[in-house]
Amino acid sequence: MFYLIGIGLYDEKDITVKGLEIVKRVDRVYLEYYTSIICKNKEELENFYGKSLIIADREMVEQNSDIILKDADVEDVALLVVGDPFAATTHTDLILRARNKNIQTKIIHNASIFNAVGCTGLQLYNFGETVSIPYWTDKWKPDSFVKKIEFNLSSDLHTLCLLDIQVKEPTAESLTKKVKTYLPPRFMSVKEATTQLLELVYSQICRNLEEETLCVGLARIGADDQQIVACSLIEMTSVDLGPPLHSLVIAASNLHPIEQEYIKQFRL
Amino acid sequence: MVNFTVDEIRSMMDQKKNIRNMSVIAHVDHGKSTLTDSLVSKAGIIANAKAGETRFTDTRKDEQERCITIKSTAISMYFELEDKDLVFIKDPDQRDKNVKGFLINLIDSPGHVDFSSEVTAALRVTDGALVVVDCVSGVCVQTETVLRQAIAERIKPVLFMNKMDRALLELQLEQEDLYQTFQRIVENVNVIIATYNDDGGPMGEVRVDPSRGSVGFGSGLHGWAFTLKQFAEMYAEKFKIDVVKLMNRLWGENFFNPKTKKWSKQKDEENKRSFNTYILDPIYKLFDCIMNYKKEETEVLMGKLNITLKPEDKDKDGKALLKVIMRSWLPAGEALLQMIAIHLPSPVVAQKYRAEMLYEGPLDDEAAVGIKTCDPNGPLMMYVSKMVPTSDKGRFYAFGRVFSGKVSTGMKARIMGPNYIPGKKEDLYEKAIQRTILMMGRYVEAIEDVPSGNICGLVGVDQFLVKTGTITTFKDAHNLRVMKFSVSPVVRVAVEPKNPADLPKLVEGLKRLAKSDPMVQCIIEESGEHIIAGAGELHLEICLKDLEEDHACIPIKKSDPVVSYRETVTEESDQICLSKSPNKHNRLFMKATPFPDNLAEDIENGKVNPRDEFKSRARYLGENYDYDVTEARKIWAFGPDGTGPNLLVDCTKGVQYLNEIKDSVVVGFQWATKEGVLAEENLRAVRFNIHDVTLHADAIHRGGGQIIPTTRRCLYACVLTAMPRLMEPVYLCEIQCPEVAVGGIYGVLNRRRGIVFEEQQVAGTPMFVVKAHLPVNESFGFTADLRSNTGGQAFPQCVFDHWQILPGNPLEVGSRPYNIVQDTRKRKGLKEGLPDLSQYLDKL
Repeated sequence: MFYLIGIGLYDEKDITVKGLEIVKRVDRVYLEYYTSIICKNKEELENFYGKSLIIADREMVEQNSDIILKDADVEDVALLVVGDPFAATTHTDLILRARNKNIQTKIIHNASIFNAVGCTGLQLYNFGETVSIPYWTDKWKPDSFVKKIEFNLSSDLHTLCLLDIQVKEPTAESLTKKVKTYLPPRFMSVKEATTQLLELVYSQICRNLEEETLCVGLARIGADDQQIVACSLIEMTSVDLGPPLHSLVIAASNLHPIEQEYIKQFRL
Repeated sequence: MVNFTVDEIRSMMDQKKNIRNMSVIAHVDHGKSTLTDSLVSKAGIIANAKAGETRFTDTRKDEQERCITIKSTAISMYFELEDKDLVFIKDPDQRDKNVKGFLINLIDSPGHVDFSSEVTAALRVTDGALVVVDCVSGVCVQTETVLRQAIAERIKPVLFMNKMDRALLELQLEQEDLYQTFQRIVENVNVIIATYNDDGGPMGEVRVDPSRGSVGFGSGLHGWAFTLKQFAEMYAEKFKIDVVKLMNRLWGENFFNPKTKKWSKQKDEENKRSFNTYILDPIYKLFDCIMNYKKEETEVLMGKLNITLKPEDKDKDGKALLKVIMRSWLPAGEALLQMIAIHLPSPVVAQKYRAEMLYEGPLDDEAAVGIKTCDPNGPLMMYVSKMVPTSDKGRFYAFGRVFSGKVSTGMKARIMGPNYIPGKKEDLYEKAIQRTILMMGRYVEAIEDVPSGNICGLVGVDQFLVKTGTITTFKDAHNLRVMKFSVSPVVRVAVEPKNPADLPKLVEGLKRLAKSDPMVQCIIEESGEHIIAGAGELHLEICLKDLEEDHACIPIKKSDPVVSYRETVTEESDQICLSKSPNKHNRLFMKATPFPDNLAEDIENGKVNPRDEFKSRARYLGENYDYDVTEARKIWAFGPDGTGPNLLVDCTKGVQYLNEIKDSVVVGFQWATKEGVLAEENLRAVRFNIHDVTLHADAIHRGGGQIIPTTRRCLYACVLTAMPRLMEPVYLCEIQCPEVAVGGIYGVLNRRRGIVFEEQQVAGTPMFVVKAHLPVNESFGFTADLRSNTGGQAFPQCVFDHWQILPGNPLEVGSRPYNIVQDTRKRKGLKEGLPDLSQYLDKL
């Protein structure tokens, strides 16, 4: 059996009881470590789970999934995913690959930023399409996500922006080499994200997003020191929310009175 | 000794209409350097007596020993025209009204094909060319190559028939035969010019014509030369005919009857061709008297021709006397310098029509206007065409031409390499020019500044440029266009230090070697192997010697030479190939097809290039290659290196966000065309069509990391399913030999897969010329083999000609291309065996 287990938002204790029971009894446990990160290191997790973990990086999950799925038809293997297993899209493909090998699969859900974002007081019903904001390079400045933000704003919907995570990103030069060199890990902050967004506002690629559009910055949701700040887009570019992970919400222009009232507590 | 000072030259540099920048170009051994010496001797740098023996421009020891030019060398000369000659210059931009003196910057370039990149570099900085042809051998392969290049760079040619002494002394040609020989050479040269130049084009007519004085005759070795102008002047008074009119009469079908004193256009029994009577006859007579020791007759003739000898020359006889007499009668320097000043364009004239060829930017910006008008007060635009080693080991002078503005010692300038893109920071340095210098053969002289239209060297720029580049003061300047070489670096060797501890020295030495030669490529393979790639065996031999003795200064081990191959396809892919990105959410659907014939050549010659306006390019491809014009408008890239002969075409319809992955796909395409799937050789003549693309909904999941490797895999699958083949480089090989040796040549060529396509007797001589195509791979040791099979009588010249498909399927174990692929893979440290399609092709 191949288990895909969500381990929740923040620390080792966010795993569900069902999930923990499975981790304790399976033969091999992998920890997926690139679509999101948990703010505890591997040893702390191992201590709590009482089980040693194998780190699975992007190359392993995407290109060498056979290693993970090896013998999963006779043994029990679990892959731990930060947040919920299906919040990061790549893992649907992993399930398909397991099915192709006639391996039985089981999913254990958990909380994800997709639902935890409700902590801002913005109603989940009022969210539109989610977007990711990638780190720009000199040559690659995708702005397609802007169209989705625009669409959400024009339909009076909030937009949840997931911010780029580069745990083990190959350098641009080494992408065309056989030996890869990697950039140091980096995690986009709310400040960086809003700075990029503002650039799009100024270059008029993004029309209904403005300097004064209300944004909500979230950091380390689920942790004791989680932070939520609500302010205008331009103000957000100078807000420091501390260590990762960060997320950003671009609020719809018309808020429900309850939303308005709730969000007041996060105002700068 | 030098009869002008640097200050005098500097003041001449401001008279831009009186400047001539010219190169001397020719086939190997046609006597360029020797001829150049006689020019230099006239302009006064070395004593008259040494002319013909010194090879002033061959500055290297090996050049003097081997008697071939390896590096091109520049000299500045100063020359004054007399009033009677000044009237021949009619264009007001060709001469300043009040100035008689001309500053001539001459570059002597190598004739051996292996060094033709030096010629390319020389042509770039000059406006005119003195094409030297040995009148005994006639127009040879390298004459054609360099002439073609000259015309393409918009360089105006004048012609000089060299080695007349040989025609008279060795071959003992009759007068009429010699005339016919000259006539044929002029025609041959004009045919080449007409093939590559459009008379209606911006350069106008560039044909050479003896009756207009743009063809010279003589002997560089003996130091004499003339154009019809010299003889017309001698006879003008006697005939009471205007010099220009008389020049017309002295060439072509003009016959004179001495009895009736009548000119005629037809030959009959009584009359004689005017060229023979008035020009060849006196020369023949002089030769005859002197070489047959007819002392009295000689003196009579000397009296008639107004030749007086210096006392110390009086007791010479035979060849030595002949030299002295001919030289004082028809001094080579005088005739040639006149021809150069009158017929070659000044920078003011030339830059008007060269600007559009030279400049990559918009033709109305400040830089372009500065170049067009050769404005010394415009923004600085200088092209560095090559690096010249200094006496200080490891440092180089950057040698080039100022096209606009002034370059001066200490000034701050933008130094832009060939990869600079306006507005970006890559390949761009803003640094001070340490020193500007004049380069004169073996010597350099410091100079305060150099204005537009002149050639000079710069100190302190070498560390910022690899080989060539643009120097400017204009912030928005684009690059001056990089040079296109007529030869390719198709022969390569691997090198390593004998003592492994010397590796750092080798690496440093290779860097210097790459700088010092315009074309050589020094590559580090991913396996760690150091590769030097050059045009041919001789080129590599010289490079290796330089590396060992000058650049690295360590003993070096070298591998046997091997050639570069190209990978191509011969059919359309038998399926639409699908590859999925690592996260499986992005899918590319593509196909490969072979190019139609000649398209690859069109791309290499720049007829079809990435900088073209896309609509007119699409129209051209539609008209000439039956490409669908809508598709041809969507060419995403040329590759490898952004300019190579492979295309990536977007044939998709309505794919959302396609533009966002375009750059990544192009990077993958450049990668896959640079390192092909078979043996990681460059790809050639393959068009890739993108038929469809499926993308992940979110930008973060379709970045370079996902798309680049996927593109490469997909392209590899396309090639593997399209009947891949190897291509090998083929030389055009021209061999001169006497008739008896022809049989031996065939034998050698047959053994080496050579194919003869032309065999001809050189008219008026017992020599034969055999032309053949010879695979470069079979050319190692060819020269030696040929000599030993023909008793040393055959001399080959090989120049890269084209790529040809190597018969056989590289995917079939045991075939010839299969073995080459395996050898290459082994050498490069790749996994041996065949590439596995299933690694690249995914299933739906």
